[in-house]
Amino acid sequence: MIFSSIPFLFYFLPVVILFYFLAPEKLKNAVLLFSSLFFYAWGEPRFLVFMMVSILQGYICGILIERYSDSNPKRSKIILTVSVLFSLFLLGYCKYTDFFLANFNALTGMSVPLLKIALPIGISFYTFQILSYTVDVYRKDVPAQKNLIDFAAYAAMFPQLIAGPIVRYADIAPQLKKRTHSIEEISLGIRRFVLGLTKKILLANTLAQLVNIYKASNDKSLVFAWVYAIAYTLHVYFDFSGYSDMAIGLGHVFGFQFPENFNYPYISRNITEFWRRWHMTLGSWFRDYLYIPLGGNRVSKPKWIFNILIVWMATGFWHGASWNFILWGLYFAILLVLEKLWLLKKLPKSGVIPHLYVMFFVLLSFVFFDSPNVPAALATLGSMFGFAGLPLISTETLYYLSSYAILILIGLLGSTPLPAKAAKKWFGESFLEPAVLLALLAVCSAFLIDGSFNPFLYFRF
Amino acid sequence: MRTKIKNYITCFATAFFLFGFLLWGIIAPDKDVSTSERRPLAKMPTLTMESVLDNKFMSDFENYTLDQFPLRDNFRTLKAMVSFYVFRQKDNNQIYVNDGYAAKMEYPLNDSSITYAGKRFGYLYDTYMADKNINVYLTIVPDKSYFLADKNSCLSMDYEEFVRKMCAETPFAEYIDIMPLLSIDDYYATDTHWRQEKLLPVAGYLAEAMGGSLKESYSTAQLDKPFYGVYYGQSALPLPAENLYYLESPFLDACVVKDFETGDTMPVYDLEKGHGNDPYELYLSGSKSLIEITNPNASTNKELILFRDSFGSSIAPLFAENYAKVTLVDIRYIAPQILGRFIEFDDQDVLFLYSTSVLNNSTTLK
Repeated sequence: MIFSSIPFLFYFLPVVILFYFLAPEKLKNAVLLFSSLFFYAWGEPRFLVFMMVSILQGYICGILIERYSDSNPKRSKIILTVSVLFSLFLLGYCKYTDFFLANFNALTGMSVPLLKIALPIGISFYTFQILSYTVDVYRKDVPAQKNLIDFAAYAAMFPQLIAGPIVRYADIAPQLKKRTHSIEEISLGIRRFVLGLTKKILLANTLAQLVNIYKASNDKSLVFAWVYAIAYTLHVYFDFSGYSDMAIGLGHVFGFQFPENFNYPYISRNITEFWRRWHMTLGSWFRDYLYIPLGGNRVSKPKWIFNILIVWMATGFWHGASWNFILWGLYFAILLVLEKLWLLKKLPKSGVIPHLYVMFFVLLSFVFFDSPNVPAALATLGSMFGFAGLPLISTETLYYLSSYAILILIGLLGSTPLPAKAAKKWFGESFLEPAVLLALLAVCSAFLIDGSFNPFLYFRF
Repeated sequence: MRTKIKNYITCFATAFFLFGFLLWGIIAPDKDVSTSERRPLAKMPTLTMESVLDNKFMSDFENYTLDQFPLRDNFRTLKAMVSFYVFRQKDNNQIYVNDGYAAKMEYPLNDSSITYAGKRFGYLYDTYMADKNINVYLTIVPDKSYFLADKNSCLSMDYEEFVRKMCAETPFAEYIDIMPLLSIDDYYATDTHWRQEKLLPVAGYLAEAMGGSLKESYSTAQLDKPFYGVYYGQSALPLPAENLYYLESPFLDACVVKDFETGDTMPVYDLEKGHGNDPYELYLSGSKSLIEITNPNASTNKELILFRDSFGSSIAPLFAENYAKVTLVDIRYIAPQILGRFIEFDDQDVLFLYSTSVLNNSTTLK
């Protein structure tokens, strides 16, 4: 089930909220757990077992790691290793098997059949959460969770289950035990949820239409290729940050404080800053569980550069089992190394040039991100830089540019803090804010409902 | 204090919205049909272990909630208004409105579709008409974008190229160009179709091109029901209702229409269908695979076979003046292979009358 759907908004969510707030304090985590399992099973009934096995191994290993941490540290380490390998194996099997088989076939000329394993939704997120939990228990950063319901409620919690943010156990362990619910928190959560829903449905989904139109077009042009790249860059931001906003908003409704995941990344002045603002929970996860264990920057320069390349290759690979994702990660690694070694000192600290620099390279990166493979990415980049023999502009370009101009403009403005500042100034204590939120909810519902628009072919009669 | 009240309003208004529509959706009886889209609406799926495990129940339930959502058409209107007037998008689900006329973007020109249509017409010619004393004609009815697209800077086909390609695919037919005779006023604002009461010049021109002439005078009658065409529902905008007119004449009153599907006779203007979901079915009862108009007062034995789409329904009665019999064939509903069982092809005029919309999406032709 996804948040931006009628069954979620008008069936699942009201019913869960009703049961949750009617349930006594002791049973609230159980309500969250069972509603999360239902939420997951709705989209992936067959894969529920993967998640439950992952949760069980994380729960048992966490307890065992803690039990032997003082009396038998070696055994504790072995259990941690088993748990980490289990998590990585599960993720690797479901997500990367066919990638490795395809590359093995390409290298050896063999034709080992691909397994065509369907990717369980959210596996990258819940695997990383469980993995970090066992590592944290081993490091004695957090005590092991003894209550299976509480642990499972954390790992499977539906607001952040399928698209993050990656919530570490340490972040919400106290709230799992005791949390407060207030009208202020719920109201804050609703505001955040509706804004996230608006980002997702009105901006991300609509810009995705423009992206798809470009891909299907037989009348491409150089300008159209740039319009596509801009539309996709905005789409991916509003899609992902919208989902994170909804997750954080739902967290507030249920009394949790989830970490922020996006902080206006497109206003960054350099790539280093961009990655401090983009998918922050993933960045900090790789920093704490891969980059620092590899030695971080407290090593020789070549080893430090190597560490950065490894971390960013893994970051790219986490996003998808394809070479273009790996290259996407390495592309940022190279930019980050260049910045740290030389570029940061040269870049102006103010003005428009640093922003143009960031957006230019981010725009190109998302062309790679969106492409099905490396040749397709290079073909699109070729179109953008005039190497594809396309005309400068075409009839379709003009039409779709004018049809989507306002949306692109809203998208560009919406990716800066300006709308939030303006809303604060305009609404303040005004009662207009609830009215605007309700209107946005109604418009989002209208866009969802119109998704069912499906005129009978007979209309051509 | 003010913040506290605002928070309470936010919570209760949202709860009222979500719970209100949840309860409304549960209590309200399910609808069978969407009149705006002219299709049956999804019903509550049956819950079985199999349908849950293969995810069918979930996807069917989602379709059900979308189709049966309370105030669904109003929400669709809201979406259209936001797309057009807030986001200033030029079309909504490929429907656009210009000068009060709603039209669907017919774009791009589909070469393979034209080729396919040409092949189907060629099959008919080779099977039934070649080496016979039959005069074969082709005419193409432009969709509304032919008139509107430029004004709205909308994407539209190159219609000259379209006609050139279609003529190249049908070298056996003499092309009759009616496009210069038509204007946007000849179409309903909310529908895809042309207006019968405006078609006399076009019908006369076609008749002349086929060696006849139209002299009959008609009176105009109005259907006693507001007409909302197919684009009214599809645009989801509050467009004004129109009046649907039809041409009456004593010679038409004497004509006999036979439906080959049922073997029954039927009126030229089916007023019952005029009051149904699609009032344009008033003309010759709408979508019929094979019908025949016999004119008992004809001064000739000539026959016309009209291969047509829905545009043919409203113009065909006007041709009846020149012929003893007009046979209408819609090869979207009848296989051309079996036509010989019903029609003896010899010594007739044959007119292929198709709209650009059907020719550019010709997969429905059999």
